[in-house]
Amino acid sequence: MRRIGGHSLSGAMGALLLAASACTEATPVARVEPRAKTGPLVVYTVNEPLRYFAARIGGPHVEALLPAPDDVDPAFWLPEPEDLVGYQGADLILRSGGGYARWIGFASLPRSTQVDTSAGYRDRLIALRGSVTHSHGPQAAQSHGDTAFTTWLDLELAAQQARAVGEAFADARPLLRSDFEIASAKLVSDLERLDERLLEIGAAYEDESLLFSHPVYQYLQQRYGLGGDSLHWEPDQDPGPDEWGRLAERQARSPARWMLWEAEPLPETQRRLGELGITPIVFSPGGNAVEGVDWLALMNANADRLEAAIRRD
Amino acid sequence: MSGPLYVASRYLVHHRGKTIILVLAVALTGFVPVGLQVLVAQSARELTARADRTPLLVGSRGSPLELVLSALYFDTDPPVPIPWSEIERIDDTGLAQAVPLQVGFRAGGHPIVGTTLEYLDYRRLRVATGRRMAWLGECVLGARAARELGLEPGDDLVSSPETVFDLAGVYPLKMRVVGVLAPSHTADDRAVFVDIKTAWVMAGLGHGHRDLGDPDASAAVLSRAGDRIVANAAVLEYNQITRENIESFHFHAGRSSLPVSAALALPTDERARVLLMGRYEAPDERVQILRPRSVMDELLDTVVTVQSYVVAGIALVAAATGATIVLVFMLSIRLRRREIETMTKIGGSRGSVAAVLISEVVVVVAVGLVIAAGLTLVTSRFGSAAIRAFLLS
Repeated sequence: MRRIGGHSLSGAMGALLLAASACTEATPVARVEPRAKTGPLVVYTVNEPLRYFAARIGGPHVEALLPAPDDVDPAFWLPEPEDLVGYQGADLILRSGGGYARWIGFASLPRSTQVDTSAGYRDRLIALRGSVTHSHGPQAAQSHGDTAFTTWLDLELAAQQARAVGEAFADARPLLRSDFEIASAKLVSDLERLDERLLEIGAAYEDESLLFSHPVYQYLQQRYGLGGDSLHWEPDQDPGPDEWGRLAERQARSPARWMLWEAEPLPETQRRLGELGITPIVFSPGGNAVEGVDWLALMNANADRLEAAIRRD
Repeated sequence: MSGPLYVASRYLVHHRGKTIILVLAVALTGFVPVGLQVLVAQSARELTARADRTPLLVGSRGSPLELVLSALYFDTDPPVPIPWSEIERIDDTGLAQAVPLQVGFRAGGHPIVGTTLEYLDYRRLRVATGRRMAWLGECVLGARAARELGLEPGDDLVSSPETVFDLAGVYPLKMRVVGVLAPSHTADDRAVFVDIKTAWVMAGLGHGHRDLGDPDASAAVLSRAGDRIVANAAVLEYNQITRENIESFHFHAGRSSLPVSAALALPTDERARVLLMGRYEAPDERVQILRPRSVMDELLDTVVTVQSYVVAGIALVAAATGATIVLVFMLSIRLRRREIETMTKIGGSRGSVAAVLISEVVVVVAVGLVIAAGLTLVTSRFGSAAIRAFLLS
């Protein structure tokens, strides 16, 4: 038996009085109150890919939710307190990992319901070059958000996320395990098919003639061998004369033929790109929902446009 | 009423001063040892109840009692912290769920408890008004803390520095009260609950400040080399976390090294509990795992030992008091010799006279014992509340 160290008799009496002051407790519990085991699993997600995976795998057994407004990138969204109350009450919270949705780091969420769907491939996350670090005096330098997070653009990683979602659902509802496993396998098969297709497109791409309008395509570039520089242009904004000047200089030095965009760029932007010999290709990362289009259809449409552009050439 | 009893009662009423003293002496002599027993038994029950509801506790090696009292009642000095990696270690075993606790700071005299939402679920702490904490910098008050501080959701509460001499160290954090818990009649009622990340900010392990890459922040920059910026002490740190500045908050250490005072380990079943305890048996283990109930039982053993000495002392005093009472009655009979002779001369038999005297004794002892029983009942009903009100408030 362990010994009580370092206390006096008076201390013991004081502790006893302290305990007495704490008065009576509620009925005994051995563990954290279990959540309801019946009804659909309420699953909150941090982006559209995970919401789509949850809905596909869970079917009627899961209510998959992404409360971020449609016109906001969920990666940079800051939920309202009432949104967080929803996340707190969820049966499962699906996280994307890789520093995606920084708000999670500032929020009070139950640890027991969070599922990091990137846990299986942490070693494959891409560190961002050039992220600013700072320190206070002699402390070690610290960088904020230093990992690329659109991991699902590597469809092989997306398939791993889908498997993780299926396993989390099966753990939460063991009686439905076979349903979840079948649905998960179908989804993974779809993702692998798209992955193979993108690999073929990547194999057909031979030179460094791609540009990326935004630094969100790192996993697409890495997985499918689509090399090229990233700019920081927004589809709904004119980049300004300085950026156009730099692009013109780059074109003179090393001409690019295509530029991937998150959404359709402004007509004026398309015209000026055409003058520089650059064809814009919309490749939506699909971080948020697009009305009337499911996420996999969106990704297939991305692949269609990319394939049409590269193979046409 | 029979004659002897009537005469005895008239005598006791007539000599009411002496009667009251004798009754009180009998009452207190009976009540003190029994009442103490009741109080100790009641306190022991309360003490073990909270310990029983905490299956396992993990903390740094040292005094088990300090660890238990700190984690269960938040009122003693916190033990040496363990790193967050110990929380992950428990989770990784798959045998138990870890609920971290970070204590040590106070606000308005009430302990601040940094934890996760699982703690509120596990202790079945229901929100009476407002909501649970959702963001860094928000707090939820125990029922008694809210009452004593006069706060409600929407108000602000400032944490106290760890020590008044820590002028160069940790700045107070202004927290937003977002909820008040329903009374639980436990130590949780006195606490101020925050997310554990908020507790780390309070400890100076995390902070928020303006973007050092901003040209306006140049006065706070010591050096700038490429992508690396070194700030000086002039950098303005936020002492309140708002929606506008929350994204500037960060920690200059990996989470696995951040401190935790203790962790509740909630095993899945009895087998998991035993297996988990076995994981901490290595001789070079720097962390201890313990069953709060065992520690409390040892504490109670100590208390019972103390109690038995006290009861023995009280028994001696009671014996002396009893002897004194007997002496008082004997002297009283001696002083009442002429009164007894008068009763005999007017026709009272020896038996009747003896009955009068015995009735006096019986009435005094009976009334004294009734009062002692009443006091014991009151103690068992209101003992805890009385201690709370008069000793600890």
